[in-house]
Amino acid sequence: MGKLLEHHSKELIRKLGLKVPNGGVAAAPKEAERIAAGLGSPVVVKALVPVGKRGKAGAVKFAGGPGEAGAAAGELLGMTVGNFPVEKVLVEERLDIREEWYLSFTYDKEKKMPVVIASTRGGVDVEEITRAHPGSVAVRHIDPLLGMADFQAKEIWSDLGVGGKLILAATALLVKLYHLFERTDASLLEVNPLAVTSSGELAVAASVMSVDDSAMYRHPELSEMVQLGSERAWRPLTDLEKRMVEVNEADPYRGTARYTEMPGGDIGFMCGGGGGSLLLFDALVANGGRPANYSEVGGNPTEEKVYGLTRGILTKPGVKGLFAAHNITNNTQVDVLARGIVRALNDLGIDPSTFPVVVREAGVNDSAAREIFTAAGVEYYGEEITMTEAAARMVRRMGAAYPGYLRREGN
Amino acid sequence: MAILISDKTRILIQGITGREASMVTRHMLDYGTEILAGVTPGRGGQEIHGVPVYDTVKAAVRRHGCDTSLIYVPPAFAYDAVMEAIANGIKLLVIITENIPQRDAVRFLYAARQSGVRVIGPNSVGIINPADRVKLGAIGGDNVERCFVPGRVGVISRSGGMTAETSWMVKRAGYGVSTSISIGGDALIGSTIRDLLELFEHDPGTEAVVTFSEPGTRQEEEAADFIEKGGFTKPLFSYVAGRFTEGMPEGTVFGHAGAIISGGRGKPSAKMERLKRAGAHVVDHFDQIIDELRRVLK
Repeated sequence: MGKLLEHHSKELIRKLGLKVPNGGVAAAPKEAERIAAGLGSPVVVKALVPVGKRGKAGAVKFAGGPGEAGAAAGELLGMTVGNFPVEKVLVEERLDIREEWYLSFTYDKEKKMPVVIASTRGGVDVEEITRAHPGSVAVRHIDPLLGMADFQAKEIWSDLGVGGKLILAATALLVKLYHLFERTDASLLEVNPLAVTSSGELAVAASVMSVDDSAMYRHPELSEMVQLGSERAWRPLTDLEKRMVEVNEADPYRGTARYTEMPGGDIGFMCGGGGGSLLLFDALVANGGRPANYSEVGGNPTEEKVYGLTRGILTKPGVKGLFAAHNITNNTQVDVLARGIVRALNDLGIDPSTFPVVVREAGVNDSAAREIFTAAGVEYYGEEITMTEAAARMVRRMGAAYPGYLRREGN
Repeated sequence: MAILISDKTRILIQGITGREASMVTRHMLDYGTEILAGVTPGRGGQEIHGVPVYDTVKAAVRRHGCDTSLIYVPPAFAYDAVMEAIANGIKLLVIITENIPQRDAVRFLYAARQSGVRVIGPNSVGIINPADRVKLGAIGGDNVERCFVPGRVGVISRSGGMTAETSWMVKRAGYGVSTSISIGGDALIGSTIRDLLELFEHDPGTEAVVTFSEPGTRQEEEAADFIEKGGFTKPLFSYVAGRFTEGMPEGTVFGHAGAIISGGRGKPSAKMERLKRAGAHVVDHFDQIIDELRRVLK
């Protein structure tokens, strides 16, 4: 899933004909001031970052007028929220709120169904609502083929004690938002609070939305709004990670090469596939090793992709060894891996007799891989040892090459 | 004996003319697996390695009585392909396709449940029954015996690649597999560990089961509940990879799409604890699978 910043999700919601606070996006305090002056009312200033629970993080501020709005924007624009530097803020009219409700749509992974959660006690985390007011939360699964009927939406609000004109507006809003959730291939759409204003109107005071990366091919209209792959990082991508995304995207249909930088570390981690990487990383750590990155390489990548990724892995400062390993492959040609890895070592002038390199690559064409690695002076294993044994061997090599390696802090 | 597939399985491959599917077709045939038909719209009347291709599942089923379909169609067409298989009476679907939109997966999994169709995957590398020399998918590649030899241990893996490695560990321990299943790395899959334990329980050819797990989902917790209710009584050996992810910020995705830790749920250590409590042989290090198998199975 890729996250949408709040002004983007609100733009989509506004297009449904639903009430969203008026406002604008500012990248500088002066701009925030101008927007607040234009609104001519007290405002809310929110940091535009793809992070939940912004209120708790102090990333939402209230301002009486333009001057205060500018000051609030100034504070927020210098902040980092959940590792994301605040580059823009959303300046919005402050609604006159009578009640705060809650509404969200997502997928229930266990029941494998879309689910709607609604409550007339919003404004706080849904976990908190459920804990404090279990009787005022409705959780309803939705038939994924038939969708949400008006009467079902009406029943949800009725069960929550909503009546009068509000039940009509709330029913229409729920159905419209479910359509948006479905139509955009969203994985989450949350409105919290869903405000009942003093004039008895429903308004989307705050929204959170993320969409399914895998469905982006059918949503060109969202491409500007979503940062692809943003769910894979807990912070903005580093420069090296961005370069590795380019290496992967250069030939998107021939294997995958994913790279995540880890804080510190000294072992370059050139491993795959999904489950194999998890196991190998755990095994290095269990033996006292310190991987400098995480990677997942699989699906029979091209030599160029393997080369680019290996180069990137070795380029990270502090990397003093390379561990290349996979589970026994079903279809990934390990001789291709061998050529890419050895080329990267050669190009960087790395001598495997002094710079520890341990390889465990078994599977398709592994006799050719053995020749390539052995000729390059690399310590190579096929299926004569297990993945865990290979990880232990890597850490022993680090210990032998760098005296005191295993006694250092963190071990 | 085995579960899900045997030499009686009547196999169809949807998307058979694709590059990967065509290679897999050859490897399956070389292994001795009979493939009755393939389907690719617009390619009806052609052959792939001697397997007749049809435009529709309907035509293939009418001519060959297929009951199982291996799905290799690209993500954008997977939803329709699965619905086509269900509509034409296919009873077992093995979906190899990766990156299927979640909304499509939810919809076809729902339709399959309503029609009593069993689904393995999406994002699976396949299933294998070595005693009958039947395999569906890339599992085992072109050198099947390297990892998969006939025996009495069932393998269930959330990782495609680790299905082979885990089966190879079983072989290294001196045993073989009854059936190995790559259940798919996605968060939304047709058959979970618990569902397959139920089938292995009733398979007289399976003495024990080994599982390979990852962070995320509640599959291991559900499997533990199932064991405690008496649903699975054979020895279960479990390994959960990805303990290092517990030190990472929440919401980080490592490994497959299903491997996401959210809200403190889905942590490997909690899964291991839960499985242990249910009586499973949970190993800290993957290599201990070998010793544990030898110790328990004798």
